[in-house]
Amino acid sequence: MIQDSVLVKPKAMSAGAARVGIGGPVGSGKTALLEQMIPRLIARGRNIAVVTNDLVTKEDAERVRRSGLIAPERVLAVETGACPHTAIREDPTLNIQAADDLEARFANLELVLIESGGDNLASTFSLDLVDFWMFVIDVAGGDDIPRKRGLGILQSDLLIINKTDLAPHVRVDLPRMVAEANEVRRGKPVMLTNCATGAGVDEVIDHLSSTVLFDR
Amino acid sequence: MLMAEKSVATGADPLRLDAILGLLSEPSMADYIHDIGQHGVIEYIDLGGDDIRRHRLRVTTDRGTDCAISLPRSQHLQNGAVLLAEKDRAIIVRMLAREWLRLAPRDAAAALELGYFAGNMHWPVRFDSELLLIELQGPRQRYLDRLDFMVAAGQIRIVEEAA
Repeated sequence: MIQDSVLVKPKAMSAGAARVGIGGPVGSGKTALLEQMIPRLIARGRNIAVVTNDLVTKEDAERVRRSGLIAPERVLAVETGACPHTAIREDPTLNIQAADDLEARFANLELVLIESGGDNLASTFSLDLVDFWMFVIDVAGGDDIPRKRGLGILQSDLLIINKTDLAPHVRVDLPRMVAEANEVRRGKPVMLTNCATGAGVDEVIDHLSSTVLFDR
Repeated sequence: MLMAEKSVATGADPLRLDAILGLLSEPSMADYIHDIGQHGVIEYIDLGGDDIRRHRLRVTTDRGTDCAISLPRSQHLQNGAVLLAEKDRAIIVRMLAREWLRLAPRDAAAALELGYFAGNMHWPVRFDSELLLIELQGPRQRYLDRLDFMVAAGQIRIVEEAA
């Protein structure tokens, strides 16, 4: 007779908050996406916090704190000091500590959004740090970006093409850009946003809700 | 590569799996699961190299059960991890075999350049005597395309694994 005692479930441990990374090149709209996501997540009743990464300042954290969108104490800054990708991939210790700190401070936290410092197309997140990561590019960077097959484009769980409203002004063929993004990502999702207006951001949150927050 | 299908919203609540109950490699757990298998159903979640590193993911078992896995940060998925063990049903993780590209450099200079290039690409590697093995985390052709300049110059040779 097999004993049920083999099943000792570690009840004292909790999975804690989901951790979601937001990466992408400088100026692609990572902070703008964050600013559009925060009020929508709060409106949906989510208990959230934010970690931002900057090179040698706390500029992005200060911008989010001053925005009035979220309690300032729920925003922590990590100064990477050098290559931004190092702090999210090779040695994510500082970011893990920041996320742990937020979880310790705020009971029942459900989601920590971790915005990387602006980087190049090769930047990726360590899965030791995040459960899911998005990569934000924008049409003004050129419609050849997806077919350059940077690691961020290929490996991210969700690719976001931002600033879609600018496409006609920068002579970008948006449908072709989307088609090429879908082709190189082989079925991984691609979404379009205009973070100046918030267009497309609800769909991004729906996706997160399903994949890492486990709504229906 | 076969992989546990990522679930999408189905309209129903997913089955929550929030801890590793044990490992199939533990004799007592193996016996327990064997017992369930005698009269119940064993379901498997097949995970590739990336997904098995996650602490939180939504996947579908080989029998179509929509699962939401969320583990404490101190626990790590691995081959044989038992996530559910009920009277007539168990759910177990299977890790898919990793695929490797095996490369033989022509000489020391080529080996240095190959090592530099693989590092610059952030590819996970292993060493096997005079071979460099690169873990394939995407389509094999994508790696061959990147290495083509070294293959074409005769600096490296692709070594097929013995059958």
